[in-house]
Amino acid sequence: MTVTAHKTAPLPAPPSGRGRRPAHLSGARRREALTGYAFTAPTVIGFLVFVLGPLVAALYLSLTKYNILTAPKFVGLDNYARMFRDERLATTYGNTVLYVGAAVVLINGFALLFAVLINQRLPRALTYVFRSAYFFPYLVALVYVSIIWQALFQKDTGILNYYITAMGGERIDWLNSSEFSKVSVIIVDTWRNVGFAMLIYVAALQEVPKDMVEAARMDGANEWQVFRRIVLPMISQATFFNITITIIGAFQIYESIIVLTRGGPGDASRSVVMYIAEVAFNKFDMGYASAIAVTLFLIIMLVTMVQFRLRKSWVNNE
Amino acid sequence: MSNLNAPILASRKGAGKAVRRRPGVGKSVSVALLILGAIGMVAPFLWMFTTSLRDASHAYDLPPQWLPTEWDWSNYAGAVTGPVPILRNMFNSAVIAIAVSVGMIITAPMAGYAFAKLEFPGRNSIFVGLLSSLMVPAQVTIIPLFLLMRTFGLLDNPLSLILPGITGALGVFLLRQFFLGLPQEIIDAARMDGATAWQTYRLIALPLAKNAVSTLGVITFLGSWNAYFAPSIFLNSTDTATLPLGLVLMLGPYGAGNVAQVMAATTIAIAPALIVFLVAQRWIIASLTQSAVKG
Repeated sequence: MTVTAHKTAPLPAPPSGRGRRPAHLSGARRREALTGYAFTAPTVIGFLVFVLGPLVAALYLSLTKYNILTAPKFVGLDNYARMFRDERLATTYGNTVLYVGAAVVLINGFALLFAVLINQRLPRALTYVFRSAYFFPYLVALVYVSIIWQALFQKDTGILNYYITAMGGERIDWLNSSEFSKVSVIIVDTWRNVGFAMLIYVAALQEVPKDMVEAARMDGANEWQVFRRIVLPMISQATFFNITITIIGAFQIYESIIVLTRGGPGDASRSVVMYIAEVAFNKFDMGYASAIAVTLFLIIMLVTMVQFRLRKSWVNNE
Repeated sequence: MSNLNAPILASRKGAGKAVRRRPGVGKSVSVALLILGAIGMVAPFLWMFTTSLRDASHAYDLPPQWLPTEWDWSNYAGAVTGPVPILRNMFNSAVIAIAVSVGMIITAPMAGYAFAKLEFPGRNSIFVGLLSSLMVPAQVTIIPLFLLMRTFGLLDNPLSLILPGITGALGVFLLRQFFLGLPQEIIDAARMDGATAWQTYRLIALPLAKNAVSTLGVITFLGSWNAYFAPSIFLNSTDTATLPLGLVLMLGPYGAGNVAQVMAATTIAIAPALIVFLVAQRWIIASLTQSAVKG
């Protein structure tokens, strides 16, 4: 084995900087490289077969007309041109962008508020109880929490409307009106994800040096100034992380809508992912569905890259 | 950024001043707010549980009863003997989740160790390539994956979910982070003593990564147990369906199903998350937040 490796020398010579090591180790180094390939092989194969291959295939399919029964037919950019004329796509993308905007503002806003409150000197048990209560929904499948919420949202029998009418309000048609169906989706999404974002903020807040905050207070800064000038810049990496994952998560919103509103009424609450699934697996218009999916991929990639760019100027890396 | 959070920060401003003048009042205001939020987080689960213990005809009683009015477990029996084979679905979910997590805790630590501690040509470019897969949303690959599974006759078969699930970039990333923190001397000492690379990994490095590996296992299990999107596309009969699919079937269109039974089944479905939460909350929180704050 080692001998063969010596003869065929399949690997580039080790950098000369390592010449300090005895020469007979080069066989060991070769073995180390082979071990490295062996250790990473399952992951790399999984990546090629289940991520990279399908991604390339999706790019190809997006340039074809394909209904599963007959072979894909190359149509160039037709599918992409078709998107501009597709009103349902405009509606579902519009809904999705609304979900994304709401997620960024509401999840991060509430998470930061609760994180700041929880980060005060509270009794340890109290902190633990709060942290647990806020975090738990994040561990439960979105399908399950949506099943619970759709019962709470029922117009005539739901608890939410009971309390609203008890306080003198009007019954709200949470699941079947074109405005409130979107609101319901946003409520469930915010409710489930706020705890995770809060934990990220809490972890970041705990890294803020207390003496720095104290020193600022000594210098006469008020709480708002301390928060705005010291705490907020110090936790910018957590903010960066949270905004990125809420954007990516909300662009993919799917099963909560299926359970709550089935996308309705009409397309009023339908997300673009639901539309992709419908075009692909109900209408078997695989080429067009792939093209829409590719736009979603490009958007998510763009968001991620913009965030990485911003991160450089934005994140205070002390 | 400051624009996004402006309303909340503005209200903080007021609260902050109160803290400075009368610390007691500020703190009780924030505790009150936190309690209010916590009630909002817990109440839906409480309603689910009490409803599951009530006769279906009282499921929607108003005003709502927040504590169990009766301890009637018949909805649980009804849920598991109903037209949707919930127990079968749960078994399917368990098989897939266990297979996926076992696979993941074998493949991810090996790759993470190689990327952190072994030298081989192309190491960094391969790692960056893998990491970039975190940017690829499942919705983009689902159509080719569906066609792939169809070609190999794996539709409606748990393997369609297991095979793509047993490797993944996130686990490799988490474990690489851990192994990077492991002192090189430990590895070198083992190698000096004549251990092979495999022995060094298996007997020295891997045991030290026990907590990271357990966390990865738990996260992977829950991710699979909770998954809906891919299963809803690859599985299409009630016998192969996973539990989330079974529950949506049971709920029926427009929530027409027997609510008390649906809540009983949902209570059962949530149990693993609750157990994980009680047992491993601390680890999971630590590992999830670390990768975000320090990563």
